[in-house]
Amino acid sequence: MSLFLLHICSTSKKLYLLVVYKEPTIVERIRSEKMKIINKFPLLLIVSFLCILVINCTNKDPEHEPQNQAYRSTYQPKPSEAILIRNARVLTGLGTELEDTSILIDNNTIAAIGEIPLDAGTKVIDAKGKWITPGIIDIHSHMGVYPAPGLRSNSDGNEATSPVTPHVWAEHSVWTHDPQFTLALKGGITTFHVLPGSANLIGGRGVTLKNIRSVTVQGMKFPDAPYTLKMACGENPKRVYGNRNQEPSTQMANVAGYRQAWIDAQNYMKKAEKSRDDLKRDLAMETLSGVLRGEILIQNHCYRGEEMAVMLDIAKEFDYKVTAFHHAIEAYKVADILAEQGVCAAMWADWWGFKHEAFDMVWSNVAMVDQAENKTGCAIVHSDSAVGTQHLNQEAAKARAAGIRAGMNISRGRAIQWITLNPAKALGISERVGSLEVGKMADLVIWDGDPFSVFSKAEKVFIDGHLKFDAESDNAFERTDFDLGIIEPEESRL
Amino acid sequence: MKNFIITTIISLFSLVSGANAADLEKVLIQNATVITASDSQVLKNTDVLIEDGFIVAIGGNLVANDAIQIDASNQIITPGLIAPHSQIGLMEIQLERETRDDSTKYFSAGFSIVNAFNPSSTLIPYNRSGGITSAIVIPSAAKANYSGLASVFKMDGELDSDVILKDIAMAISFGAGSDSRASQILLLEDAFNKALRFNDSREQYKQLADFDYDDHTIRDLEAILRVLNKEIPLIVRSNRAKDLLRMISIAKQYGVKIIFHGAKEAWRIADILAEEDIPVILDPMDNIPGSFDSIAARMDNAYLLNKAGVKILITSQDTHNSYLSRQGAGNAVAHGLPENEAIKALTANIAEVFGLSDLGTIDVGKTADLVIWDGNPLEVSSFATTVFIDGKQISLVSRSTRLRDRYLRKLGLE
Repeated sequence: MSLFLLHICSTSKKLYLLVVYKEPTIVERIRSEKMKIINKFPLLLIVSFLCILVINCTNKDPEHEPQNQAYRSTYQPKPSEAILIRNARVLTGLGTELEDTSILIDNNTIAAIGEIPLDAGTKVIDAKGKWITPGIIDIHSHMGVYPAPGLRSNSDGNEATSPVTPHVWAEHSVWTHDPQFTLALKGGITTFHVLPGSANLIGGRGVTLKNIRSVTVQGMKFPDAPYTLKMACGENPKRVYGNRNQEPSTQMANVAGYRQAWIDAQNYMKKAEKSRDDLKRDLAMETLSGVLRGEILIQNHCYRGEEMAVMLDIAKEFDYKVTAFHHAIEAYKVADILAEQGVCAAMWADWWGFKHEAFDMVWSNVAMVDQAENKTGCAIVHSDSAVGTQHLNQEAAKARAAGIRAGMNISRGRAIQWITLNPAKALGISERVGSLEVGKMADLVIWDGDPFSVFSKAEKVFIDGHLKFDAESDNAFERTDFDLGIIEPEESRL
Repeated sequence: MKNFIITTIISLFSLVSGANAADLEKVLIQNATVITASDSQVLKNTDVLIEDGFIVAIGGNLVANDAIQIDASNQIITPGLIAPHSQIGLMEIQLERETRDDSTKYFSAGFSIVNAFNPSSTLIPYNRSGGITSAIVIPSAAKANYSGLASVFKMDGELDSDVILKDIAMAISFGAGSDSRASQILLLEDAFNKALRFNDSREQYKQLADFDYDDHTIRDLEAILRVLNKEIPLIVRSNRAKDLLRMISIAKQYGVKIIFHGAKEAWRIADILAEEDIPVILDPMDNIPGSFDSIAARMDNAYLLNKAGVKILITSQDTHNSYLSRQGAGNAVAHGLPENEAIKALTANIAEVFGLSDLGTIDVGKTADLVIWDGNPLEVSSFATTVFIDGKQISLVSRSTRLRDRYLRKLGLE
């Protein structure tokens, strides 16, 4: 039985090691789970479940979250062939720009970068005149939870029935056939972070997905990416609930709402310490206590400078960390504070005016955050838009140009980090993606020109070493189910 | 203000001579690459002479010693960009109803927004710093399927400047909504017929029992008559290919000149649109199949339409960032549209379709609405360095640049 298990799951060496190093308590847990399953399911299903369970060995703190034996990523890329991409100009994601550089990808990872000798057996792509960047990462997406076409039945991003809903998880709303996924892929997006909307003070868990086609959301989940929690400042929550004559209807009630939620979480954790056995499970408190234990990363929709400063004080009061402020239109007003406290700001290049809190936009916002406090800021360019995500390189280009025009010296190498390494850091996945380094996942984009030009397009997109989009191929990418026969029965959309 | 202009000229250009601070009416721009958006296309190393608000000469080595001299070597001049479909001047903050004047609950076809335009709107200096010098301002919503009447405004921001063309097109929408699209067509036919009957017997008509004051006041019927008399075109916001075809057939039946707006599936009927000479206002980047009306949306809509011979007008869908039509045009070029056609879609085509005969191209005799760019105007990293409206150099300072400069200082990033 166990041999069969390893055979099915053998696509990853890492996985094999996990089997070896699993902790005894986990083994016991798996064994007892296994017995339950065997009684109920046929063999193949059992095996696939076991694969999931084995991956679960990487759980950081399984003691606290019994549910996390389920819902884990089932994404396992097939081993990829060796491909040598030669003669490219490379933006590494580490701040550097390399000329005439080769990258060898093999077995799902980046195997070498630099000057690499030709090997007769290795497939070669000549990328002379092309540019390579790490796969683009969009830290703010609602693809899947607000899919296209937008219908009442699939508008699943906001649980706008109560202002504090940490118990809901965006991944459980994801429609995996959203045609927006493939549009984003054509724009170079290899990883994206799907968040609940901003109707609520605390909106629920976000999920980091790889841009691969899978019927199950588990099959898209970025393996072992930490969970995130969406919070929202400002106008949206107080408008949604204030219009119903409910709390919050003011900024001050927003803040009281966050604080009360954290007080509840602290109480829950105290209770848990005293008597774990009698503790009634509470999904909301499991999420909030995950934040207070540092396992779940806060992604906080917050436009205004003064609001960000208040949110940082709330984090201080309850001893947690805000990982990133999103839609941070006024981040430039507090760029020094953000840099000092190591908080990222995810921003648009130029959106403004749709709300009062979005009135003070400046084109150089991203650059100012990046350059603040002796260039220690963490700036991210995000989309929040199925159109914008297809051109995130252009958004970064606009932000960089605005910074240069305002007198800041920002290289392409630096600016590409706004859509690669910095969002990877803020999602807790920078050990594996976000830059082109040996050993990292082979997620990369070959561009037909300077990625900071409006005229350049992604030509080839690799995810885990597999060519997922190829502009030069007739069969450029795998269509979503939605795309099949939707315009003409015998054709695919696009 | 004038001090500012002089300072800007000195800081931006190496050569300033013959400047008279009190008189900026005559300007000679030298050594530029001029994208004319007209038949002469692109002129290298060319001078443009502006006098009394008009372009009076274009050529090599022009001499005008009494003019302000601007050296535009390595820079590019285009006609001022025209926003073909926006609510600039009617809206300050989208979600704040009291800052908006772009909709009505009292009128339908005849809703004119001329008296609402605010020349002091923050959107004006901001968008002209992005190269927009005039805008076709179109209300968002009126009664029934109507949006109302479009008017044209300059982006000079002067309190005493007025509408330059009033009520020049009527806008409606057609497609998925709360009521069947079949019913929407019936209502439109009924409205056309009603307007015709009204025209036949104006005085008696007011007495008729079937006069429907609900959706059509006399003002509205008068506006519809202007459409039926081909005095003004009808802008139809619609996306589905079959809906576009149906509107074409109604337009033919009633002799109405139409312009499509949105038109995400227009590429499917590109040949027919070309044959019928129907212009299309579109955002080339809007390739989302956002509803079952736009399933066939795609990135090369602009390219395919232009290739078939359709006149395209490129817009941004975001009024606050109307100038981003430039990015849309750049993306259209990335997907096949020739660069010169993209520039025309931001300028000349818009002027032509809306009858702005003195705007849209750089030709002798045209109004001097011009933009000097520090790089390819379609490139997202290029900026307008100088903007002229009616021959006057306009400030590129906006509330946004003021905020930027304040916080650059505070952060020590100057």
